[in-house]
Amino acid sequence: MGVAFVAHCLLNQNSKVGDGAHCAGVYSPVVDVLREKGWRIEQMPCPELAFAGLNRFWAVREQYDTAAFRRHCHKLAIAVAGAIAARVEQGEEIVLVGVEGSPSMGVTITSSDPERGGRPAWPDGSPELTGGEGIFVEELHNELARRGITFRVAGERHAIPGFTEADQRARLESVLERGDA
Amino acid sequence: MRDERSYRVALVADRYVNPAPGQPDGLAVLAAAGWGVMQLPDDGYPAEVARQLLAGIADQVEEFSRHGYTFVVVGQRDGLAEALAGAGVAVPEGIVPATAAELGEFLEAQPVPPALAAAGEAGQRDSGASRVGGADGAQETTAARE
Repeated sequence: MGVAFVAHCLLNQNSKVGDGAHCAGVYSPVVDVLREKGWRIEQMPCPELAFAGLNRFWAVREQYDTAAFRRHCHKLAIAVAGAIAARVEQGEEIVLVGVEGSPSMGVTITSSDPERGGRPAWPDGSPELTGGEGIFVEELHNELARRGITFRVAGERHAIPGFTEADQRARLESVLERGDA
Repeated sequence: MRDERSYRVALVADRYVNPAPGQPDGLAVLAAAGWGVMQLPDDGYPAEVARQLLAGIADQVEEFSRHGYTFVVVGQRDGLAEALAGAGVAVPEGIVPATAAELGEFLEAQPVPPALAAAGEAGQRDSGASRVGGADGAQETTAARE
C-alpha cells in the first residue's frame, strides 16, 4: 500500500477534452480498485485544462510539445514532485496513475503524429498511439529522477484498442500488488 | 461517443477524499451524485508545496468558471481563498458535512449549472435540425446529462 497520484480527470471527467468524458464526474473503475487495495488517492493537475482550456481540440504529443507548454508542465511538476517527496519521506510507496494515449498524461503509451496540424479534420481511430510518456509525465519523471525518487506507473486505458474494464483492472491490480509495470 | 460530463465540480478537502474510519466518505457521495472532484492539498504538506498546488487548482477553477460550470467547496483548506482570489475567482458556496447524508442533501440543492442549460439548448437546436420530434430528443439529451 502507498499513495496513488492519479491523473486529474480520473476524479473529474469535466476536465476532459470535448466529447471525451466517459462519465459524469468520478471515474470509479480506477478509484474503486485503489480504495479496495488500501491506497491513498492524491489528484494531479490537468496540464491541458489551464493551458489550452475547455474548448481545446483533441491533440497529439507534437502539438503540445512547445517550450511554453513544457514550462507550464514543469511548473506543475515541481508542485506535484514536492507532494510526492513529502510522501516518500513518510516511507510511502508511490504509483502514478496516468491516462494511456494522452499527449500529456500517458505513462507508457502516448499519441504521436508529426504531420497533424492546421484545420482539424482527420478520421477517427488510433494510428497515432505510440509507446512513450506524455509531456507532463515526462517533466514529472525528470523532476522525480532529479530528486532520486522512484515510482511505479499504471494507466487508465479507454483510448487503447481492445479496452475492457476487466483488463484495465487486472493491470492496475498487478501494478499495485507486485510493482509490475 | 456522447460526452457524459456533469458540469458540476466540487473542491474537496483531502479528509473527504481519503476519509479516516468512521468519517463521511465525500468521494463516494460525490461520485454517486455525478460531481467531479478537485482534491485540495493535504493539510500536512509543506506550506510552499500547498501554495503551488492551490495556485494550479485556482487556474483550473478559473477556466471552469468562465464556461459556466457549477462549483462548491466541501470541507476547508487554508490558503484556498487567497489562491482563488489570485485567479480572480470568488470562493464558492461550501459545506463542512458531518455526515454523508448532509453532503448529499447539500449537493441535491445546488442549481443547474449554466453550462448544462446551455448544452441542453444546443442539443435542442441540433435535434430540431436533424430529426423529426426534435423537442423530445432535446429533453432526452438533457435528462441523460442530468
